[in-house]
Amino acid sequence: MTVTPGWYMALAAVLFVIGASGILLRRNALVMFMSVELMLNAVNLTFVAAGRELNVIDGQISVLFVMVVAAAEVVVGLAIIVAVFRRRKTASVDELAGLRG
Amino acid sequence: MVFLSLSFWREAGGAMNVNYLSVAPELILTVAVVLLLMIDVQWKPGYRWWGIAAALGFAGAIAASVMQWVGHRGEDAAEYFRGMIATDGFSAFAGILIFPIAAMALMTAWPLVRSLGRRGAEFVVLVMIAAAGAHLMAAASNLVMLFIALEVFSISLYVLAGFTRARADADEAALKYFLLGALASAIFLYGIALVFAATGTTSITGIATFLGNELLFRPGILLAGIALLVVGLGFKVSAAPFHVWAPDVYQGAPGGVTGFLAASAKIAGFAAAARVLTVALDARIEDWAPAIGVIAAVSIVVGTLLAIAQTDLKRMLAYSSVAHAGFILTALVGGAAGVADMWFYVATYAVQVVAAFGVAAVVSGPQQGPAPLADYAGLSTRSPGLALALGLMMLAMGGIPLTAGFVGKAAVFSAALDADYLWLVVLALVAAVAGLFFYLRVVVLMYMQPAEGSGSVPVPLGARIVLVVAAVVTVLAGVVPWPLLRWLGEALPG
Repeated sequence: MTVTPGWYMALAAVLFVIGASGILLRRNALVMFMSVELMLNAVNLTFVAAGRELNVIDGQISVLFVMVVAAAEVVVGLAIIVAVFRRRKTASVDELAGLRG
Repeated sequence: MVFLSLSFWREAGGAMNVNYLSVAPELILTVAVVLLLMIDVQWKPGYRWWGIAAALGFAGAIAASVMQWVGHRGEDAAEYFRGMIATDGFSAFAGILIFPIAAMALMTAWPLVRSLGRRGAEFVVLVMIAAAGAHLMAAASNLVMLFIALEVFSISLYVLAGFTRARADADEAALKYFLLGALASAIFLYGIALVFAATGTTSITGIATFLGNELLFRPGILLAGIALLVVGLGFKVSAAPFHVWAPDVYQGAPGGVTGFLAASAKIAGFAAAARVLTVALDARIEDWAPAIGVIAAVSIVVGTLLAIAQTDLKRMLAYSSVAHAGFILTALVGGAAGVADMWFYVATYAVQVVAAFGVAAVVSGPQQGPAPLADYAGLSTRSPGLALALGLMMLAMGGIPLTAGFVGKAAVFSAALDADYLWLVVLALVAAVAGLFFYLRVVVLMYMQPAEGSGSVPVPLGARIVLVVAAVVTVLAGVVPWPLLRWLGEALPG
């Protein structure tokens, strides 16, 4: 049995769903953030697999841009999580209930 | 899994066609940002020079956008940098709209900038970068370029939302905005990847050509991609049911930031949505238009109903912005025919929302924190000017005739009627009437309730200018909307 790019696309879809479930089910801000990174990597896998299947370079190129943007997002995201953690001594989003209505 | 587009790939686009005018607004703002940061590190000149650098940057960006409008609208639209940047009436008008809005928001946030001490320079820089990203979203003609622009814009806003470290609710707002924004970006990006997998290109015009020429026998991947793109953009423009972040973020972020966030997210988000839906996916309008109609209806109903229950002005405006996102989406159910009507609503709403949050920022003091409605009781006796400005913005958002809000609603409803979405227009009309309740409640509170505290609220010069400009624009666009409507007929994707 040969493993075609379609298999990678299916794996990426599974990874994406796992990441999305992590966002919805976990309550720790750091774990939720890791789930977002998992989703981005699932997208990268989709890009590479589709680019390989279609024999165009755009897929591989897109991955490089996504990785740069994800790195920038990590910088800002971790800074925000650290700021929240310093004030409240917890990174659980359940503690963040000051704003409601 | 079989790809029907196996043999299809886009021509490389010929030579690298460079045109610096097409990215001039971004270049000018970036140069201003770098100069501001370098001068600030070296000489520490203080906030006056930050203001001058920002004013020069925004003035240059507006001038460049006007030059794009003069030279590239209509027939002269073109794509540059190997099909990455589109320079047409659409992107030029987005620049003419976004940069003055960003400058106005910065003026209302100026007392906050001054109170931040040395960190104020970073605040000014982030607003400028976010504005550049917002314009790039409207000008991107490649989905990967659009994603990068979206992230430049969003990441700046995550930081801005939590900029006042002294208040606990600001970092809560920043974390909520960041987590849900990152989720929305990932969903949007997966949409791009699936559309790429189905069509073999990320170029917006390339996708349009492919979908116009090829008949897809198994369009599942494409449809999933379209759905994810719509969800991702729905998050960014705070359309229900993807609006859950908006109230917390709007309430927690400083008033001047919230005005910019609300206005620029609407402009950039709807510009991107219009280009993706009506250009790239135009051949698939039967697939996405019903979904847009349902999202619009849900947004209008949810936003209106929840706004009625609010006791904080910023939170009420957040839910009202959800409803407005629904009204604006109403224009898009007709596809390309509704783009001019969408622009009219977006432009006038952006001005109104910046001014309304400007008043909230002034009334809640230099930290620009929460804005409980009780603070506005009897505002007309304490500060008649502020009460008049906020009252006018409330009437305009409610859609009272002779304000821009009325013309905007009439425009988007006529676009939806042309597309045979009668049920949506009827629903929107009912919701608009119900919405008058909470807009007029603010007016009644200001004009017919006794003042609790005495003493007028001091209005800084920047906020004063913003409120006067916004009031003039709102009345003018409401009484004589025809010149603006005629220009917007040329603000279309090329």
